[in-house]
Amino acid sequence: MSKPELGASRIVSPRPMSRRRLLASVPALGGLLATGCADALVPPTVRGGLIGAADVLTMSTTRWLMADQPLAREYERSDIAPDFPTWGQTNPENEDYQRHLSEGFVNWSLPVNGLVKHPRAFSLDELKQLPSRTQITAHVCEQGWSAIGEWTGAPLTQVLEAAGGVSPEARYVVFNAMDRWYESIDMFDVVHPQTILAYGLNGDELPVGNGAPLRLRVERQCGYKNIKFLRSIDVVDSLAGFGRGTGGLSSDFGFHWYGGV
Amino acid sequence: MTSERSPAGVGASVILHSYNVRICHWINVIAGGYLLLSGIHIFLDFPELYWGHTGYQGYPALFKLSDWGLSWDEAGALGNRMWGRNYHFTFAWVFLINGLVYVAWSLARGHVWRRLLPGRTELAPASLKADLVEHLRGPAQERAAATSYGPLQKLSYSLLIFVFVPVMLLTGLAQAPAFAAAWPWLLDLFGGRQSARTLHAAGTVLFVLFVLVHVMEVLLAGAVNRVRSMITGKFRLPEEEM
Repeated sequence: MSKPELGASRIVSPRPMSRRRLLASVPALGGLLATGCADALVPPTVRGGLIGAADVLTMSTTRWLMADQPLAREYERSDIAPDFPTWGQTNPENEDYQRHLSEGFVNWSLPVNGLVKHPRAFSLDELKQLPSRTQITAHVCEQGWSAIGEWTGAPLTQVLEAAGGVSPEARYVVFNAMDRWYESIDMFDVVHPQTILAYGLNGDELPVGNGAPLRLRVERQCGYKNIKFLRSIDVVDSLAGFGRGTGGLSSDFGFHWYGGV
Repeated sequence: MTSERSPAGVGASVILHSYNVRICHWINVIAGGYLLLSGIHIFLDFPELYWGHTGYQGYPALFKLSDWGLSWDEAGALGNRMWGRNYHFTFAWVFLINGLVYVAWSLARGHVWRRLLPGRTELAPASLKADLVEHLRGPAQERAAATSYGPLQKLSYSLLIFVFVPVMLLTGLAQAPAFAAAWPWLLDLFGGRQSARTLHAAGTVLFVLFVLVHVMEVLLAGAVNRVRSMITGKFRLPEEEM
């Protein structure tokens, strides 16, 4: 995996990028196009043929419709699913994960590497001390099920800001999981207020089956992008060094990288 | 059709379907076929239907395929949601663009008003009843010779194009988290993502029924002549005087 080295010259702002400035860097579609940033419209790897053409149409259409960065619907407490389902990997069996689980994740930490000014690791407590966001949203599995839960976590922008802010070259954030899964999202979703690193579900600690100690919530994309059991984060300008280079394990398999539909 | 105003001779041919109708029709056959097949793949990977915003295994379901003899695991082994999703969304675009071209052309050329939409008199109960009786009696000579749509045909094609397809499109979009974020009214319109999914599945059944009836009608009304008229446009007027 590539861990891009961060040269001082790559940071434009000497000060940490504020959330406001981070958000302002992706104001709307017009702004994106004006700055030559087509990332929000086109997936990092465009597949061939008719399927690839449809991918681009789907992504650019939805991103155009979401140019003002609307929130995914937030529900009432009474809408919360009685028993939030677990799916896919529900308890990674590798030694590393089991050790952290048995220790209550006190020695677990999340390294944030790549194109941030001050690469560093965050313990679970440090993440919990960052400003938090709680949102009652529907998890939409690409398989067809959906369930409403109350997620609590640190907005990704807060985490990146605490690491000194991202450099202007940053295009994607890659999430590596302890079950060897990985996924990536582009800056359009990185800066969205509902994109959080969740450590809580329905007022409790995040259960193991739902991705303890930390999972990604990217509410405007399907379940497969909401990666569980986070191990580390890389802020990158290219996805080439990860897996087969498509930007996620599911897209390496053959799913569309963009999970908006 | 010109043939109605200037009666053609016995056994003469007319161009029944314009090139636009013919091209759009066959693109629709391909896109509709892929949409159906890929939709079934997606469904088989989660063969239960619910109502409202929430639905998952163990949640009260409206429909379970396992109640109909195919277990969860058997269905899952048949369905490939990755293939299904890739092709469903691809041919949804083909279907949509093709449909927009067809509707735009049909509006511009007056096809919608002249040939497609039923008139007020055609929609009268007596007219629809008479048409239905004629259909149920079997393939009448007049139907084999028909060069314009009958009242029930106009009604079903119009409902298909202007009601059914938009509802299928919107119930599909309502299931997508990005579209639901951009257009939250989609969720309200159908009462939730799972309701939209259920309506989408019910619509699939209607679509299959439409195709079955449509193909049966073509076979009954002169299979070779009808199919040729949708390929080359040429339709041979039957021996019977019109």
